[in-house]
Amino acid sequence: MKSHCYAFTVKDLLPIVGLPLVPLGLFALFLHAGAALRILPPPVAALDTDRTILLHQATAGRQRHDAGTILIGDSSCLMDVSAPQLTTILTSHGAALNLGTLSYLDLNAFAALLRRYTAANPVRPDTVVLLMNPEALRRPAAEDYDLEALERFYSQTDDCPPTLSPLLCGLGVEIFRGRLLSRSVPIPLPGSFGGYYGFTHDLWRYLSSHQGSAVDPGRYDPAFAVGNAEYRLARTLESASAVFRAAVPAGTKLCVGITPLPESFVLANFGEVRGRLLAGWSQWLKADLALARLPATMPDHLFASPTHLNPAGARAYTTLLAAALQGEPSTRPQRPKLQ
Amino acid sequence: MLFNSGTFLQFFAAFLLLYYCVRNHLRARNVLILAASYLFYGWWDYRFLVLLLFSSLLDYAVGLGLGLSREDRARKSLLIASIAVNLTILGFFKYYDFFLESAVAVLARLDIPAHLPTLRIVLPVGISFYTFQSMSYAIDVYRRQIEPTPDLVDFLAFVSFFPQLVAGPIERAQHLLPQFKVSRRITRGMLEEGVWLCLWGLFKKVALADNLAPLVEMVYDHPRPGVAMTIAGTVAFGFQIYGDFSGYSDIARGTAQILGFDIMVNFNLPYGATNLREFWSRWHISLSTWLRDYLYIGLGGNRHGRGRMYRNLVITMVLGGLWHGAAWNFVLWGLWHGIGLAVHRWWTHLPFRSGAGVAAPQAAWRRGLAWLATMTFVFYGWLLFRAHSWDQIVALTGFLGDFILPPWAGSYLINLALFTLPLVAMQWWQFRRCDLLVALRLPPMPRAALTGSCLIAVCLFWEKAKVPFIYFQF
Repeated sequence: MKSHCYAFTVKDLLPIVGLPLVPLGLFALFLHAGAALRILPPPVAALDTDRTILLHQATAGRQRHDAGTILIGDSSCLMDVSAPQLTTILTSHGAALNLGTLSYLDLNAFAALLRRYTAANPVRPDTVVLLMNPEALRRPAAEDYDLEALERFYSQTDDCPPTLSPLLCGLGVEIFRGRLLSRSVPIPLPGSFGGYYGFTHDLWRYLSSHQGSAVDPGRYDPAFAVGNAEYRLARTLESASAVFRAAVPAGTKLCVGITPLPESFVLANFGEVRGRLLAGWSQWLKADLALARLPATMPDHLFASPTHLNPAGARAYTTLLAAALQGEPSTRPQRPKLQ
Repeated sequence: MLFNSGTFLQFFAAFLLLYYCVRNHLRARNVLILAASYLFYGWWDYRFLVLLLFSSLLDYAVGLGLGLSREDRARKSLLIASIAVNLTILGFFKYYDFFLESAVAVLARLDIPAHLPTLRIVLPVGISFYTFQSMSYAIDVYRRQIEPTPDLVDFLAFVSFFPQLVAGPIERAQHLLPQFKVSRRITRGMLEEGVWLCLWGLFKKVALADNLAPLVEMVYDHPRPGVAMTIAGTVAFGFQIYGDFSGYSDIARGTAQILGFDIMVNFNLPYGATNLREFWSRWHISLSTWLRDYLYIGLGGNRHGRGRMYRNLVITMVLGGLWHGAAWNFVLWGLWHGIGLAVHRWWTHLPFRSGAGVAAPQAAWRRGLAWLATMTFVFYGWLLFRAHSWDQIVALTGFLGDFILPPWAGSYLINLALFTLPLVAMQWWQFRRCDLLVALRLPPMPRAALTGSCLIAVCLFWEKAKVPFIYFQF
């Protein structure tokens, strides 16, 4: 017995399957041509929390701020120091700008960020404060993906992440997302960041209005914290430190600090270990000031995660940082007061 | 295997090729469908194929036994055995841990410490769907509504038919089984309809529901969303679950159409309903009719007076709620709808309301008011359905009087509008024309633009396509 028959011809089949492909093809053509001919705006693929912060800081680094204090470093720099609070305390140092990133970049990338900032801002900063967490200091290298995202942003090229099939990239999906979607539609952020900041556009606005500083909305629970007690400086850090030092403009002070860890997270001798790390790293950086007076640990209740302070912790830490910097006289030329 | 995955697209393309090759052999076609269906199911976890096979063989054997037996008592025993075994399997895999944990919680409230061992059982995908489909066959044979099938391959293919195996529609043997026994004619119209349903279903799932999912999470995971966001989050969930589930049903119907099979309509514009009874005649139709035919009528239906009818409605809906998942919020959701249906039935039986029934009120303002009241009821039900716990239900209900507005409310509403309006617009169009396939009535060029736009949207959001369908967990 016959199983089934096809009561149509190949000619019937073509419009059913083929017609929807025509608009798809035209759309792909429009996207690729728009990107190649620069009709579409340049890509800002701020599609998630990490990339929104990374691209915001990269954008901020290319804009004119004429800040007196530049904060730069890993996510602990981003979360632990409030740039507006620092500005309020250090009135004589001028405004502070935080260029810390959530994604872990290495010192080479931070150097590139700083070089772009100094190129865009003729008034050199008074102080550059480099802050990193002990957890980050032992990491040998940055994530390639983050570095590539930064590179693509600078070179204005589109991203085809490994999660996207080549066919979809060929259709221009990444062009649409990076150049149109991320600019026009706020994208929800997942987890606790979503609950606090909401969407990519809201996070971007928050960073802009807080001079690049952010807040970690998480809650630290020592019971679930796990870590490796062996803190050390990665070998690759020495050469990268030299690159970073070279990026600091002449006449600008370089201050270096190691951000705190929760008291219950570390061994009793961590203070000593931290002191040794800071001394060694500061030497590699040829830093003008090692921020040794900043605490190596802080009480657990001031943390949002093992590496980030919560808002109360950030307020306390910023006050301590301001006190450490306040002792240093400003080398910045005073602006004439308006009559 | 998920419909919204590259793996399924490859599987279906290969299947169509083989399907074409066996076009002259009915037996070979059914064997091919059976093999493909088992591959489709086993792709997730091959070990659970044993369960699917066992459940199918049981009802196949019970069907044969019912056909051979003339004695009522023996027939009844066979049916009870089938139902008992099916429900035991379903109960063990789906509800064992739930009832045990609930018992421990109750004992703890009574200060009686208990340590009952939970088994952390993995829920086999689609078990609720294929168990109900298989059971309905045995019940229909028992009721002498259908003849038992002697052909094992046909029966196994009917239970495991891959387009609707893991998330329905829950087909009846009366409708689907005979289709395996005859030659199918695939027309141009069927192909057009099938391709459109697949595309529209994918659009609803990938472009709309999956983008609404994070919006829902933002509200339901937020410690204090406030009234506006609680409402917005619940609206988002109402559209997410509708897009997700009706999307799956559309793809199921579409793929079946392409193979020349007809699967029942599972959703018929439910958010256009102007009363609760009408809503349930439009939402998850295959389950609501299953519950009506095999549970509500089994309990006596409306044959023993009003009081019993209201009781039967509530019991049916509570068990329908429990069918959705092993959690008390589903029971509460079922109870909410059961009470709602009972109240609606009571209201329509009031002397001044005689003859109202399912029919909508005539005046536009009354229809609008009835629609608003129905949707408010239905969407509060979604809050009960989506909440994680009783505490959250209480908290979210409390937020309905909390007028705080988070700073990201504007971004939220942009997203909500963007990912619900296409669905609302299409539903409105279908509703006005009383035609679910209204898009196919368009002239070729506008239709190409519409289908092309859906395809573009599916491609743009395809990366998120790994999100499983909500109803897989049921």
